[in-house]
Amino acid sequence: MRRLLFALLLAVACRPTADRLSVPATAHRIVSLAPSSTELLFAIGAGEQVVGRTTWCRYPAAALRVPAVGDGLNPNVEAIAARQPDLVVLYRSQMNETAAQQLARLGIPTVTLAQDRLEDIAHAARELGRLTGHQPAGDSIGAAIETLLRAPTPATIARVTFVVWDNPPMVIGGGSYLDQLATLAGARNVFHDIAGASATVSIETIIARNPDVILVLSDSTAPPAYSARREWRAIRAVREGHFIMLPGDLFGRPSPSAPAAVAALRHALEVRK
Amino acid sequence: MRRWLGLAGLVALALVSAVVLGPAHVALGDLTSSEIVRSLRVPRALLALLVGGSLGVAGASLQALVRNPLADPFLLGLSGGAGLGAVLAIALHVAGPWALPLAAFVGALGAMALVYRLGLVGGAQLDPRVLLLAGVAVGAFTGAITTAIVSLAEAADLRNAFLWLWGGLSGASWDTVLVIAVYIPVPLVVLYAAARPLDLLALGEEPATHLGADVEPLKRRVYIAASMLTAAAVAVSGVIGFVGLIVPHITRLVWGHHHRALLPAAFLGGGALLLFADTVARVSVAPRELPVGIVTALVGVPLFAVLLRRWMGPRG
Repeated sequence: MRRLLFALLLAVACRPTADRLSVPATAHRIVSLAPSSTELLFAIGAGEQVVGRTTWCRYPAAALRVPAVGDGLNPNVEAIAARQPDLVVLYRSQMNETAAQQLARLGIPTVTLAQDRLEDIAHAARELGRLTGHQPAGDSIGAAIETLLRAPTPATIARVTFVVWDNPPMVIGGGSYLDQLATLAGARNVFHDIAGASATVSIETIIARNPDVILVLSDSTAPPAYSARREWRAIRAVREGHFIMLPGDLFGRPSPSAPAAVAALRHALEVRK
Repeated sequence: MRRWLGLAGLVALALVSAVVLGPAHVALGDLTSSEIVRSLRVPRALLALLVGGSLGVAGASLQALVRNPLADPFLLGLSGGAGLGAVLAIALHVAGPWALPLAAFVGALGAMALVYRLGLVGGAQLDPRVLLLAGVAVGAFTGAITTAIVSLAEAADLRNAFLWLWGGLSGASWDTVLVIAVYIPVPLVVLYAAARPLDLLALGEEPATHLGADVEPLKRRVYIAASMLTAAAVAVSGVIGFVGLIVPHITRLVWGHHHRALLPAAFLGGGALLLFADTVARVSVAPRELPVGIVTALVGVPLFAVLLRRWMGPRG
């Protein structure tokens, strides 16, 4: 009986929470707890309605004027409530489900959105447009991303590895939006077969898969520090200095500027050839 | 003699498999010319041997010192100190290729000094029970500060701390092998020289004194040398559990309680276990890699159980 009750609770908790509490027809005071949704809100023209963000929400620049309510990883419910929001946008995760329940108990409506893949962003754009009174703009961004995703996959012009950490070496797998961006730009992620968004691998595996280019998320143009280390130089692309730096504003999270990110990566790959 | 040959064979087998096996395919004929083998597998295998050996010897010595079978090189606050050192260096943006290992090393030594000082609260004698309690307390305290820094600082930088908190040999290079190889002989020799007195200490402090052991200086020497070994291991590979706990017990089951034999056996056994564990970590879920500490527990604990049954069974 208790187990059944628990399962029921879980089922309720996992439903999109927006329809549990009455969301006002249009939200005017929004706290956004993920960089992707903050960027989306500004992109659909709801930036003026955002009254709280996380310390990680740095795009667009206008978002920096909004007060930060924490790092968004383990939401500080009190700090969020102090902003008197009429909608809180959460990234879909276990910890955030708990926060959503706590906010609901305070009578604050929430919406929980997956923001991991490009299709999630298309869906989130439409959803946020509907909730904030900017439906046409939300639909238009959603449609633009869906068009991008439906386009025929270009022929592979380079085999790439996203190295996101060096010790232990971590790479991007097929589950990440970065893998999608690479595919759309005509690059083949050599770790596409890893289902997760990222994984720890050994340098040896990177050598064996022998990418043409190492893609690095960095605003700097200097090659990463590990490129001078002997064990990393055993990777051909590192030894030959084939790095492409991906700036955080375009590549740091799945974003409505995905078409621009794809074009920028495509350009960088073509210039290299 | 057969036992030693068996152990030497085990170490050789572990070394060979660590060099031959890997997620990348290297043909047997290309082993000596392959860049993968020369720059990656060989230094990593040597580092595993040296770190595993150091942890085995440090564990065996500390278990004799505190006369407690649960003693582990990391129980005495060193892991917490090393983690705090590394996280502090990251939070303060200390740069340089050796900044993090050095900071972890300094942190471990700082924790050691603090535990040592607390171990002397009862007077001039180092009390093993107080030492254990002080180790747990200092470990909890440094752990709390580390968690506080991790939760307040910029998370992206702190991925640097993963290695120290999880443990692993992914940072292996010829440089780290060289540093460890130059460093560890001194504490190893100090501990080996203390082998006989450690046998006496097992009888209890008073009997040991009567039998001519200079107990107080002995305890200090052993504590400091074992901590220096552990600090070096944690600086290059983070906290790798179970090797320092399980290997001394396994070697004690096979070699008995004489430290002249026990300490070298613990070195070779620790090295072999970490070599096997790291090979499994690199190969078993390829292209991904497992944290090696998980594998040392998965390999070491069943091995320990089998030996325990075999050696304790008929008598008990």
